Amino acid sequence: MAARTLDITGLTCPMTWVRTKLELERLAPGDELTVLCPEGEALENVPGSAREAGHRVAVEGRIVHIVRA
Amino acid sequence: MNSRRAFLRGLASAAVRPGTEPAAPAPPPEPEPEPGRAPLSEAELDRYSRQLVLPEWSEAAQVALREAAVLVIGAGALGSPVATYLAGAGVGRIGIADDDEVAVSNLHRQHLHFTPDVGVPKAASAAAKLAFLNPEILVEPYQVRFEPANAAALVEGQDLVVDCSDSFETRYAVNAACCAAGIPLVEGGVVGLGGLVMAIRPGETACYRCAFPEPPPPGAAPSCAEAGVLGPAAGVIGSLQALEAIRLLAGLPGEAAGGFLEVDLARQTFVRVSVARRPACPDCNPL
Repeated sequence: MAARTLDITGLTCPMTWVRTKLELERLAPGDELTVLCPEGEALENVPGSAREAGHRVAVEGRIVHIVRA
Repeated sequence: MNSRRAFLRGLASAAVRPGTEPAAPAPPPEPEPEPGRAPLSEAELDRYSRQLVLPEWSEAAQVALREAAVLVIGAGALGSPVATYLAGAGVGRIGIADDDEVAVSNLHRQHLHFTPDVGVPKAASAAAKLAFLNPEILVEPYQVRFEPANAAALVEGQDLVVDCSDSFETRYAVNAACCAAGIPLVEGGVVGLGGLVMAIRPGETACYRCAFPEPPPPGAAPSCAEAGVLGPAAGVIGSLQALEAIRLLAGLPGEAAGGFLEVDLARQTFVRVSVARRPACPDCNPL
């Protein structure tokens, strides 16, 4: 199982999810991506979009942990 | 790759000068380089972000478009939306074949051409607009009419052909050439307030001739010059063709292959007609 981190604090919607989604595409199922989110709508949208795509998601403050489906 | 482009350019320029000697035979084809699979650049991420964000889309789909070569036959009412959407979506190489010139009566439905373009070759007029739309891609205008004599050369090296021509003669020539070369094809036609779209994977799904074995007798089918067409109706059909083309290139499920979509915008109906391959089809049977 590999783990990667991604900082999207400088981005706005939809690039926050685009970056996260493309990073997830490069991972294998079961790998974890840790995403540092900016405050605001990305903290709603990124975990929400990740859940809709079927990934497992946990949020700790501004850090979103996503396990690739 | 470059020699093929040079050959096609030579073919196009030869075709617009009647009476000149035929173009020299093409040099032997160079081996195709491995398609580049470099990840998307920052500029590409930005430009294509609204499609990359789609659940159905992916970086792999975007790269597949970037590496694709598509020939659009006709730069008119259907070719305008098709070429616009393919260029905008990021298809890396788009050829546009049209031997006609822009007329003022075209402008209500052919949105790549503007009033100052009247008299300009449509292929060049369209290519100029597409270069503004997306400078990241290569657009190649061919001022040539697609016909059996140049069909094989024009479709060679293409990953997909979109037929936006306005005659049954051309449609059958395009279908035969794509079947012979095994190149996926998106057919389309529009007249009045209706039309038809058909995606074809030669050897796998029904081809245009499987669905329509014979052209209508001369005079039976009105051309759009005789019957007229509303611009938005052509826009709908062309947009559907562009969508099918993108689906085929990116490998998305659900394309209209295996039949055709019949669109009647007077009644606001879309009917999908399934078509089986015909074993006796002279175009796709030998595959």
